[in-house]
Amino acid sequence: MKQFVVIGLGRFGSSIAQALSEKKFEVLAVDIDEDRVKEMEGIVSQAIVMDATDEKALRELGIADFDTAIVSMGETVEDSIMITLALKELGLKHVIVKTKSEIHSKILKKVGADRIVFPEREMAEKLAESLASPKIFDFIELSKTYGIMEMVVPKKIVNKTLGELQLRDKYKVSVIAIRRKVPYSKTDGTTDFKDEIIVGPGGTDELISGDVIIMLGKNENIEKVRKL
Amino acid sequence: MNDTFKDLIELSDFYILSQKFEEAIKALKKAERIKKTEPKLYYNFGIAYEALNENNDARNAFRLALKLDPNFKSAQEHLDRLIEE
Repeated sequence: MKQFVVIGLGRFGSSIAQALSEKKFEVLAVDIDEDRVKEMEGIVSQAIVMDATDEKALRELGIADFDTAIVSMGETVEDSIMITLALKELGLKHVIVKTKSEIHSKILKKVGADRIVFPEREMAEKLAESLASPKIFDFIELSKTYGIMEMVVPKKIVNKTLGELQLRDKYKVSVIAIRRKVPYSKTDGTTDFKDEIIVGPGGTDELISGDVIIMLGKNENIEKVRKL
Repeated sequence: MNDTFKDLIELSDFYILSQKFEEAIKALKKAERIKKTEPKLYYNFGIAYEALNENNDARNAFRLALKLDPNFKSAQEHLDRLIEE
């Protein structure tokens, strides 16, 4: 089972520690603030009060045995840098650091951070995207280049079969499911919908107006289909 | 031959059940030019827009239907569901 250490238990750190714990991973939660640590007790495997900038204390913790560290030190950028450096020197393979600015991210990369996350910016970008394109219901980033998008089928490609559209050949995008609201008449003369989901649709499946398609592919290719 | 309001509403019902929602909206727009006081007109607009995932338009249409008939139970149910989304 993967083991995570989460350093810094502010809003982001505590949320990620809890989420990982709910996914049944072993999580060690660390913060210098006793109250924050107390709040995590019983939620994660272990929660301890410790000054994570103290390299000796980190070593004694056996930090190198963990698979991934998530460093979330809020405003204190210097601490993030010091901790990242110490974690890498102690041999931790995968260090993810939360930051707010591009400049800090460059420094963090230089000291060995494997991945930098900008939660506020990423959330803001996602929100802006959904506001700009209300037809997008969801977007899941699988990696930096691949994702899954759930969106209302663009008008340009309705009333055509997937075989005719050749999305896989033309755009290298796979439609993995189609969600459709199928209307039916009720006994009182009103109308309701039943949800139909076509999983793994084939070439003969036709897209109709209002269909929601779930596509998998490179982000840039998904974007091309979205803009059709 | 000129379509009557009733014909156009029936046509929109047919298009909705045939999943030709854009055609339904065209028929309803024609019907709206004849009469604007029938709740069923806006109800069908709401259903077609909801099917197309044009939820803002669907909500507005169901609200109009309810303005004309505050006891239109199905319009209220559709509107409530769309507000929850």
